[in-house]
Amino acid sequence: MSGKRIAVIFAGALLLASCRGGGDAAPQEGAGGIKVDAGVTKEACPNAVDKSKGCIYLGTISDLTEGPFKTLAVPITDAQKAFWKRVNDKGGIGGYEVDVTKYVKDNKYNPQIHNQVYQEIKGSVLALTQTLGSPTTVAILPDLEKTPMVSVPASWTSLWGHEEVVLESGANYCVESMNSVDYAAEKMGVKSVMAVHNAGDYGDDAAAGAKIAAEKRGLTFENVTTTAGQDNQGGAIDAVVSKKPDLVILTTGPTDAAVIIGQTAARGFKGKFIGTSPTWNPGLLKSPAAPAIKALYMQSAPWKSWSTESVGHTALRAALPGVTPNDGYTAGWVWAYPLKAALEKAAANKDLTRAGVLAAVRQLSSVDYEGMLPSGAGNFSASPQDGVFRQNTLYKPDDAAPTGVTLVEDFFTGSTAKDFKFDKPCYQ
Amino acid sequence: MDEFLQSLIRGLGTGSIYSLLALGFVIIYKSTQVISFAQPAFMLAGAVLVSYLSPVVSFAGAVLVAAVVIAVLALGVERTVLRPMVGKPVFVVAIITIGVDVVVRVVTNAFIGLDVRQVGDPWGLDTVSFLGAEVQERYLVMIATTAVVTAGLFAFFRYSRIGLAMRAVAYDQEVALAQGVSVGSVFALSWALAGGLAALAGVFVATGAGVDQQLWIVALKALPAIIIGGLESLGGAVVGGLTVGVVESLFGTYQNDFAPWLGPNFGLVAPYALMLLVLLVRPYGLFGKREVERL
Repeated sequence: MSGKRIAVIFAGALLLASCRGGGDAAPQEGAGGIKVDAGVTKEACPNAVDKSKGCIYLGTISDLTEGPFKTLAVPITDAQKAFWKRVNDKGGIGGYEVDVTKYVKDNKYNPQIHNQVYQEIKGSVLALTQTLGSPTTVAILPDLEKTPMVSVPASWTSLWGHEEVVLESGANYCVESMNSVDYAAEKMGVKSVMAVHNAGDYGDDAAAGAKIAAEKRGLTFENVTTTAGQDNQGGAIDAVVSKKPDLVILTTGPTDAAVIIGQTAARGFKGKFIGTSPTWNPGLLKSPAAPAIKALYMQSAPWKSWSTESVGHTALRAALPGVTPNDGYTAGWVWAYPLKAALEKAAANKDLTRAGVLAAVRQLSSVDYEGMLPSGAGNFSASPQDGVFRQNTLYKPDDAAPTGVTLVEDFFTGSTAKDFKFDKPCYQ
Repeated sequence: MDEFLQSLIRGLGTGSIYSLLALGFVIIYKSTQVISFAQPAFMLAGAVLVSYLSPVVSFAGAVLVAAVVIAVLALGVERTVLRPMVGKPVFVVAIITIGVDVVVRVVTNAFIGLDVRQVGDPWGLDTVSFLGAEVQERYLVMIATTAVVTAGLFAFFRYSRIGLAMRAVAYDQEVALAQGVSVGSVFALSWALAGGLAALAGVFVATGAGVDQQLWIVALKALPAIIIGGLESLGGAVVGGLTVGVVESLFGTYQNDFAPWLGPNFGLVAPYALMLLVLLVRPYGLFGKREVERL
């Protein structure tokens, strides 16, 4: 056989191998008579507690090195490793343990890289325990639906409420902003609202929620888009100072938020800011903008912070001893509960295939978040209108609090979010 | 009038940062004909280093030490990574500097940790009355520091032996080599100077809200500055940087009143629009060297 022919056959074999995704793996019968396909093995996990158990592999695609959300992504990922270790320590799921350490990929917050690394691990995992970012996850959404690959987002866009393969938790940015405007209108008497936000799903979703609430209440509304980067906030600062709104809904990164709050206050602005959770970082309390932040800023949050007393929070702190408190850990931990519930349901249904996990998701009418979210959260069996979680909390800066914020308003739903019909993502 | 003066000072302050960065780009370009894309990483590394050192050796001491350390780091990068590439196409070397940028930033990011870090500057957001207008002290410090650094650099290139050697290399490497100038030393010193300037710029950026891993993006504003000023001109780098800062600031302040039809955030685009205008009139920049090629 000539070398050329061997090369052609080899290339053909490679092509066939690369075309074989995990999604078309034939279902087999695994431990305990449970039907399995891709991402589930009879062999034990790499760091198994019980070597006699099989392994469910879950993938993680996060912003782990040089992207803009690394400071959130790293604790999210660490918390999820701790979460699933706790699950394994407690006996695993359906005779299997869960591994979230073997297929961890860095997306650099780039949709193209996100898709590339997803394709690399797709055939080896049952589901994704983390897919960080809205635009990045949108890049793989058609594939997630087609496979079907149940996935846990590390973002809060209202789009996720309309995607059945996506297991979101807590209030989305749109709901958070609606509730912030309602709160400020009722408790602070604001008459004018400005949304200062990054472009894209994150900022646009929050701005849409603020606009919906402002219009419903008859408040004046201004929309200001700003670009990431400390030196790029001049336009937003000038807009705030010149229009003087009573309330600014902020959806930017933490340092950009500090620049906007600090510089507007330095130029005499006295209105209030409410920022979505990614606008906050405890380090801002040591920044030159700290006095302005303490005077003018509040943070909306989809759940309570690190130091809260609940079964889930206590377990989180116990699982991560010695770490610097950061609500990235809290977020990673909370987000993992629905996937755990879905896997348990699928195991109970004797079907841990990808299709079986999706079917289990459709049967979840609530998720036990061990007190980290109120009962009723995690209804994935209902329509988006009924399933969207509409409660969030409000915090204010506090030097004495472990994560720099202290609770101002417990879980609440404003009148706008309560009545709003979620028939499509807010920003569309 | 107060508003105009405040906007102007803000623009000159941020423009000073762009000028320091642009000076680094131009110094490396003049000696090696390469645009170094590693400047953003050195800027970030300088700011992070100051955030660690300032509680120990005071802010001023930390800035000095960081500028020297980053200069040595840049020099080391030149000697180990770029020196073997002498003689290779400048495009290849420029691409390598992108790799250097990524490596240095990833390593630096590990030192930033989870919280935004602070450089511990003494000015905060305090203001002072300047010609009747309340302006932030830190902007005045940025302008004054950049003026002193620029004057020092000009004196260095005009009067010092090694400065003259660097100018000779910028004119013609082979002739300079024939005259006994150590071209390799000039390359290394260029990188060191650019590294120190980038570190200083990074500290100034961080005085507003702190250091996070996105701080490096600011360095990209130096690119329109060097195009406007001219790639071979130190004076052009300073003028280009200040122009970018002032144009950005004045558009941010007044554009909504006078030209709202330009759309939101035109202030961010304005420096690039100006760059295109300058390129149309003077393709080699305001102070750049007109290229003459014999065909």
